[in-house]
Amino acid sequence: MKEMKVLLVDDEEEFVKSLSERMEMRDLKSDVSLSGEQALKTMDEDLPDVMVLDLKMPGMDGMEVLRRAKKAYPGVQIIMLTGHGSEKDEKEARRLGVFEYLQKPVEFEKLMRVVTNAYKKKFESSMSAVTFAEAGEFDTARKILEDEKKK
Amino acid sequence: MFGHKDKEVAFFGKITAGITHEINNVLAIIKESSGLLEDILAVTGEDTFPHKEKFKKALKRILGQIQRGVAITNNLNWFAHSSDHSPTSVDLNEVTEQMVLLASRFARLKNVGLETGPKDGPFIIKTHPVALQMALFISIEIFLDLITSGGKITLFPRKIQNNYVVGIHFEGMTADDANLPQAIITSDRWAFLQETMACLGGSAQADESASGILLYFTET
Repeated sequence: MKEMKVLLVDDEEEFVKSLSERMEMRDLKSDVSLSGEQALKTMDEDLPDVMVLDLKMPGMDGMEVLRRAKKAYPGVQIIMLTGHGSEKDEKEARRLGVFEYLQKPVEFEKLMRVVTNAYKKKFESSMSAVTFAEAGEFDTARKILEDEKKK
Repeated sequence: MFGHKDKEVAFFGKITAGITHEINNVLAIIKESSGLLEDILAVTGEDTFPHKEKFKKALKRILGQIQRGVAITNNLNWFAHSSDHSPTSVDLNEVTEQMVLLASRFARLKNVGLETGPKDGPFIIKTHPVALQMALFISIEIFLDLITSGGKITLFPRKIQNNYVVGIHFEGMTADDANLPQAIITSDRWAFLQETMACLGGSAQADESASGILLYFTET
C-alpha cells in the first residue's frame, strides 16, 4: 500500500494541530486546513486519501464541503468529526456518502482505526479495478478508475 | 403557557447549546494536547526525568476530568436541545434517565441517591419536553426538601392501564419523621407541580401506598 495522505479540516487550529502531531507520532503524515474553502483548495492541489472533517465551521460548513468533495472526488473517504451534530446532520452526511460520523472529542485510537479502515476501503476500491480489468470487465474497471483519473 | 414563553425557552436553549459546543471544543483541545503528552511519555521508554511519576499521575487526572467534563456538557447539550421542538415525541425512559443525570448534583448535596427504576417500554408520548423535565425536577425537589440526609429517590416510568406514568419514590427517613404522602401535598412546590402537569394535560397524585408521587401523562 502506498503512504496514506490525510487531510484534517477544522477551524479550531489548536485542535487539528494536536491531532496532526499525534498522527505524526505514529508515522502518519497529515495536512491541515482551517476552513472549508481552504480544504477544497488543498484537495485540488494535493488530493488526500482520507479527510477528517469538522461539521460546524465559519464560512463553508462541513456538510457543504462533504457535498462538493464527494461530487468532485468520490474516491476520497471522508470522516465527519463533530461536537454535537444532530441526528438530522448524521442522516444527511450518510446520504452524501460519509465513511463514518464521529462525535468530538473522540478517543484518538478509535479515530486512528477509522482512518485506517477508510484508507483500506479506498485502496480496495482501486485494487478492485485491477481485478475487473484482468477479468476483461473493462467498463466496470474504467468506472472504478474514474475517481482516480480525477486526481 | 406555551406561547411567548416557548420562544423564551427556545432562545435560552439555543444560546446554551451554542455554549456547550464551545466548551466541547475546549475539552477536545485539552484532550488531544494531553494525549500528545502521553504519546511523548510513551516513547521516552525507560528514560526517566525528575518527578516522572507525579507527571504521569497529573496527566491521568486531567484525562479523567476531561471525561467528566464531556459527560456534563453532553447532558447540558441534550437539555438545551430539548427546547428545539415543542411539542415533540419523547421516550419517558430517556427523559427520566437524563433528568437523573442533570439533577444528580442536587441529590448529592443532600447525600441522597438518585436513580431510575427497572427499564421497560419504550413509553413514547408527544409532549412539551421542557415542561416535562420541569415536572420531574419539581418532584425530585419536593423530596429533597423533605429529607434531611441519606436515602434514595427512584424515578420509574411505566404504563398503568392506558396511562403513561412516572412514579417518583423515596426510600429513607424524612425530616421530623413526617408522614410522607401528607408532607408531599402540603409542600410549597406541590401546587406548582400540579399546575405544570395540568399544562401538560396530565396530573400529579401522591402515591400513599408507595411513599411517592405519580405523574400521569396524556398525549397533548
